[in-house]
Amino acid sequence: MSFLGYLRSDGSVGTRNYVLVIPQGIIAKSVCDFVSGTKTILTVDHGSGRTANDREQIARVLIGLGRNPNVASVIVHAASPGVGYPELAAERLAEEIAASGKRVELLDPAKDGGTYGAITKGIQLARRMVYEASKLRREQVEDAHLCIGVKCGYSDTTSGIAGNPAVGYLYDKIVAAGGSALFGETTEIIGAEQALVRRAATPEVAEKILRAVTVQEDLAKATGLDIRTVNPVPSNIKGGISSLEEKSLGAIHKAGTAPIQGVLKYAERPTRKGLYFVDNWMGHLSIFAGYAAAGANIVLFQLGGGGVAGRTLLEGAPSVVAPFLWATANPSTHAAATDSIDFYSGTVIEGTETPEEAGERLYRTVIDIASGTLARSETLRYTEPIDMYLQEPRF
Amino acid sequence: MQAKRALIMHPQDNVATAVEEIGAGEEVAIPSAGDVLTLTAAETIPFGFKLALRELPQGEIIRKYGETIGRATSVIAKGALVHIHNLEGTRARCDLERGGAR
Repeated sequence: MSFLGYLRSDGSVGTRNYVLVIPQGIIAKSVCDFVSGTKTILTVDHGSGRTANDREQIARVLIGLGRNPNVASVIVHAASPGVGYPELAAERLAEEIAASGKRVELLDPAKDGGTYGAITKGIQLARRMVYEASKLRREQVEDAHLCIGVKCGYSDTTSGIAGNPAVGYLYDKIVAAGGSALFGETTEIIGAEQALVRRAATPEVAEKILRAVTVQEDLAKATGLDIRTVNPVPSNIKGGISSLEEKSLGAIHKAGTAPIQGVLKYAERPTRKGLYFVDNWMGHLSIFAGYAAAGANIVLFQLGGGGVAGRTLLEGAPSVVAPFLWATANPSTHAAATDSIDFYSGTVIEGTETPEEAGERLYRTVIDIASGTLARSETLRYTEPIDMYLQEPRF
Repeated sequence: MQAKRALIMHPQDNVATAVEEIGAGEEVAIPSAGDVLTLTAAETIPFGFKLALRELPQGEIIRKYGETIGRATSVIAKGALVHIHNLEGTRARCDLERGGAR
């Protein structure tokens, strides 16, 4: 099959067509409040007092979001507290984003008449850039241009037996079509790593998966805590999951059955197509921005149910520029929050669909949303702040 | 009365997952390799929770998806609920390596 997308000069294809204003702050927020068709990020991770590794990680997120295929053009401002570090200098961010062939504009309060001046100039620029972007038409392209990121959360046993298997089918289908697919959550593969290692494309990839798990498991042990007091989280246990291993073994179903081509850092772009494991953390405010920065043009949250009882509205789309889908296989979650959920596969438990049939339906949903149908989350203005995955101490 | 439904994820599993709430003493029908395995629930098994397919001795490795999900911390009767009260995960546990409290 194929979808309708926006062709970019670097050969990538967008499912959306935004003007992005970065980094966070009053200039970016004011420009975006004023001009429709724009996106910015909301986060406290500006880089000041962070180590070089973490600053580079922040830069990778910002540059990656700028280069995301869903972004038509970018405005970078120089008023972030982290901008004094070379890694986060506005010129550096702008240059690396512009290498993709996109239009990138700089705002500098020191040259543009202070903060008010920069906001005014930003609004004028953004209006012209949004107008320019609107002239681009969607074209029919191969599924090979899809790049998807997934996480499962509030997991219960419906996640492992009906939710994640449908996602796994979708993943196999996108990978078979030549697309890219990202999954991660290192803590949630502890106990399931052997099943993943068997699928590693090369011995080096196998070794990298094992190393990621060892590092994470050693970190857990070094706390002196019993991991059972942390993960599985209370909502998992309430949903019938009894151990971290059980959670992990259910979780990896979302990655399908394709060979794993590599192990990526948070927000790192895959160099080739195919399925990749990302060494990241499960938090949804963290993981989805990382996938978008790695180039995902669509993302999906596979939801269980344990912890969302009574929630009739599922909010937030912390993927900044990538359309964000909610999927669940839990009948109670679906019944409570029907108008927030893009895809339901509890049918597999009810016996009315096989996992493959549900997966095929999910695939068509993804194609529709990639082609311009809104994800339910996109009908809300509310967005949540993002929590970049930074692992080193602050000074 | 119609038997309640539970699923086995892999032929090597020694637990099944209830896909509807099962009451104590109710019959459970579990599709297994083209056949249907039947047993009686020893207690209430809520939706999404696991029950033992046979008696599991203390220390027995508990398998779901064909893989290890933990071990039995006490004898688990056939048809009984298997959850955190009688199953413990063993990964990422510094307390186990220190030989500390179980």
